[in-house]
Amino acid sequence: MFKHNTLRYAVLVLLAAGALFQALTAEYFGLEILTEILILAMLVLALDIVAGFGGMVSLCHGALMGVGAYAFALLAGQAGIAPVLAMAGAVAFSGGIAWVIGAICARSHGIYFIMATLAFGQMAYSFVFESPVLGGDDGISGIARLDLTQIGVDLNDSRSFALFCLALLAVVYGASVLILRSGLGRSLSGVMHNEQRMRALGLTVWRVKADVFGLSGMIAGLAGALAAQHSMFISPGLLSWTVSGEALVVVILGGLGTLVGPLVGAVAFVVLKHELSAITTYWHLIVGVILIAVVMSRANGIFGWIEARWGARIERRVADATRKQQPDGVASDA
Amino acid sequence: MLETRNLSKSFGAIQVTRNVSLKLERGERRVILGPNGAGKTTLFNLLVGELTPDAGSVHLAGEDVTALPVAKRARRGLSRSYQKNTLFDGLTVEQNLGLAAALYTGHATRLWSDSLAKPEVREIVAEVAEQVNLMPHLHARVSEVSYGVRRQLEVGVALATRPLVLLMDEPTSGVGPEMSKGFHDLLNNLPRDLTLLIIEHDMDLAFDVADTITVLNYGEVVFDGLPEEARGSKLLKEIYLGSWEDA
Repeated sequence: MFKHNTLRYAVLVLLAAGALFQALTAEYFGLEILTEILILAMLVLALDIVAGFGGMVSLCHGALMGVGAYAFALLAGQAGIAPVLAMAGAVAFSGGIAWVIGAICARSHGIYFIMATLAFGQMAYSFVFESPVLGGDDGISGIARLDLTQIGVDLNDSRSFALFCLALLAVVYGASVLILRSGLGRSLSGVMHNEQRMRALGLTVWRVKADVFGLSGMIAGLAGALAAQHSMFISPGLLSWTVSGEALVVVILGGLGTLVGPLVGAVAFVVLKHELSAITTYWHLIVGVILIAVVMSRANGIFGWIEARWGARIERRVADATRKQQPDGVASDA
Repeated sequence: MLETRNLSKSFGAIQVTRNVSLKLERGERRVILGPNGAGKTTLFNLLVGELTPDAGSVHLAGEDVTALPVAKRARRGLSRSYQKNTLFDGLTVEQNLGLAAALYTGHATRLWSDSLAKPEVREIVAEVAEQVNLMPHLHARVSEVSYGVRRQLEVGVALATRPLVLLMDEPTSGVGPEMSKGFHDLLNNLPRDLTLLIIEHDMDLAFDVADTITVLNYGEVVFDGLPEEARGSKLLKEIYLGSWEDA
């Protein structure tokens, strides 16, 4: 079950401080990389909720992100709806699609669940690729960003947009914690540990899985709406299974089922990608080797390794310090 | 409270449950005896809905629940414990009980509150933990506690849903004599209005707890009566080769 500890709080504060510092001081290229990290972080949070806390390893989260991106582009562009409402509509639409996928796939497990979600993802990709209304393989360009000038924020400015994404990521992280600590999240954890027993106790398992998958899809859809505004252009490639695969790599790289880990993974992955791609076009090979090393090490990703190494020690020190501050502790010292 | 009418189930050519008709009154404690392969666990699986019968019906509190899935039967008050521990191993004892209690209180699927922090859930957890002697282990992970404690938890999780009928599949399976004595007390201290159907090989426990005894052999009910009648039954001696009386 999800639980924050001192180390997790510390890493969260460090990540937030680092992102804020970068958003306030970086130049254009740095801001673009930061925004890319923030949007990817949102997608991998969505994936970690279902995969890390529900055992539902999805290969359609890229497609759900794409659904959010296309829905935003259509609602804000062709339908002429106010961008704020278009964003809410995109989030709701991708959540609805995700709920249906979750409900259908809920009865499958393991490799069958993965393949079923992959099939849904590829169906969405093919549909968008062939659809003239959605721009086919040319995609849709000229997507406008939200207009927040009324509150004095110009999102066409890269710095403002990065800060906007950071704020939304913070909200999404908070919402993810609430989901996992809710009755629904606790039941999801029960399902992951023992689905048969949860059913025998009276839980409608498919419904819980579908509900959480839907919520996760809403987050993926929000990431998509932001991605569309970030690049102001979308193409079917956004829905490709490789995007889902990349998100899964990031979650595993960072630490499955930790929420904090995928954020670490998103930073590591995007930084590695940009640094290594400047040196060699074969940068995927190096990322692959790192991923294999992480998996073979049996640590739960980068953050899992950090937590296994220092987590218990930090908790002990915090507990000791707390005990010393209490009157009993003072008495025993004396 | 719980009734089966001509319940039958076959796996291929093998008929494992043959026209089983049982009727348990509210608060009745019935023990099901029978040799290995007699179809006792299959009967449980049919009762809770994990298996679908080929013929016959299951009635809970007067309602025909034969067509209902496992979860719906559980929500109507039919709970079970398993012969092989079926727990949430990565979670604590308290969380195991809490998940079950949250299902009873209706907090298990709520999005805006933590089910395990709800006072009514915590109250049930504390009460059940007291009932099945789990208080000292509440904060331990299931993987860290002894086998005997897990058997107690197995029963506790089933109890935390506040069932009308509790089916217990060999609750003392694999536990030593000391722990087995503890189970005698545990079962005898359960609320008298709770209907119990127990599969048990421990004859002492069976005769200590049971109001009535049903014996299955080759999927068929071959004896249905009071414990004292069961002790004198020649048929039962043949089935069990006289093992418990000789012992």
